[in-house]
Amino acid sequence: MKPLAHVALALLLATLQAVLARHLGGGAVTACLLAPSLIHLALTAGNVDGAVGAAGVGYVLDLTWGTPKGLMTFLAVAVFLAARLLGAGVDVRGRLGFALLSAAGALGLSIGAVALQRVAALPEAQPGWGLWLRLLVEALLTGLAAPLVLLALRRLDALLGAEESDLIA
Amino acid sequence: MLALLKRYRELILVAVLLLLPLAVFFAHAKRPAELSRVDRLLLVGTAPLEKVVAAVVTGTLEAWRGYVALRGSHQRASALSRENGMLRLEAQELQQERAENDRLRRLLSLAESEPRRAYMGARVIGVGLAPAGLQLLTIDKGADDGLVRAMPVVVADGVVGRIHATAGQSAEVLLAVDRNSSIAVRVERTRARANVRGLGRPDQCRLDYALRSEDVIEGDLLVTSGTDATFPPGLPVGRATRLQRAAHGLFLEGMVVPAVDPTRLEEVLIITSGARDPSLLPAAAGPGPRP
Repeated sequence: MKPLAHVALALLLATLQAVLARHLGGGAVTACLLAPSLIHLALTAGNVDGAVGAAGVGYVLDLTWGTPKGLMTFLAVAVFLAARLLGAGVDVRGRLGFALLSAAGALGLSIGAVALQRVAALPEAQPGWGLWLRLLVEALLTGLAAPLVLLALRRLDALLGAEESDLIA
Repeated sequence: MLALLKRYRELILVAVLLLLPLAVFFAHAKRPAELSRVDRLLLVGTAPLEKVVAAVVTGTLEAWRGYVALRGSHQRASALSRENGMLRLEAQELQQERAENDRLRRLLSLAESEPRRAYMGARVIGVGLAPAGLQLLTIDKGADDGLVRAMPVVVADGVVGRIHATAGQSAEVLLAVDRNSSIAVRVERTRARANVRGLGRPDQCRLDYALRSEDVIEGDLLVTSGTDATFPPGLPVGRATRLQRAAHGLFLEGMVVPAVDPTRLEEVLIITSGARDPSLLPAAAGPGPRP
């Protein structure tokens, strides 16, 4: 149930992101509202539930970003695992920690996508590293938006009644 | 064996979730894939959702702007300044309407300039310019309106891109600045041939396959040549800039400033006449999952 709800929320967030980008700057700068969703899953969900949810969020990213099938699904699960490992070692508390982790997650998703496409895509369609500034701005904006997304995610968890308290303050 | 599987089932499941998509990615990375039924179902489902969210966001933003203007009037605490504020708000709305009228008039004049072509107008309802993904716009017309893949999308200033994927009531436009987009062009002044390829950035493209011996100078207008089976000839694509002629090699290197700023688009025209069978078109969208 929880993974499905997260996929539904991911679709809503992706739609909201496309509409907001249209009104706020026309897409000149972007944010990845789905990265906080992955971080939240990593910090609160179980291994299996979280990994399935992360794969679902990654599938939505594949669909909305237009990346080759499987790319963002793989990266979403990888970011989920990395954040889970980090969450096990470091006590992530409060909105600032969550925002920083979300920004890092967004950067990880983007850099991973660029790197893997540089390995696998046709030479003329490979993304260049000249995009680094846009990737950094995207991560920064994602970090800024993360506390708001966290509110929505907490509300969703409260609705599902499945939040594991004390994992994230 | 069964006990081992049972013991490590979580680990195995997570590994499958990690490695299966990676294998799918490497299998699909070099050739465009068709949309699966699940993809289409989700796209059809998200189109009305996107329209609703767009209406809510637009309404909220407009209400907020109105609220700010009214609050300013209250602070002045006089009926005259309140009236003034309202009039200014109206003037602003009229100005916006005039700007919209200007844009639509320019689109109309473009449509009327080539009566043999059939056009369809559409509004931009979503923007997806994620640097690691495709550079896409979502418009409020789709397969139900007769749009098919690869139809050219233009505005009065020039080429926007082409239809990349369609759902029932919406469609995605692959922008000319996307790195999977390559448009055959001619230099308007000298008719020299070249290609304009996107770089995944909204402000810049690359000039490809322009012969070193050709007469191309900074600022030259590049227009579609019509030889790529997608765009009709004569539409502005951009202007050549930062040209470099190396001492050796067949081609000169250069960049292109796109004629259309994709971050400022509100309405577009789709050229619906002369649409070809999408399956016969070259697969420009190399790594893209959608046709």
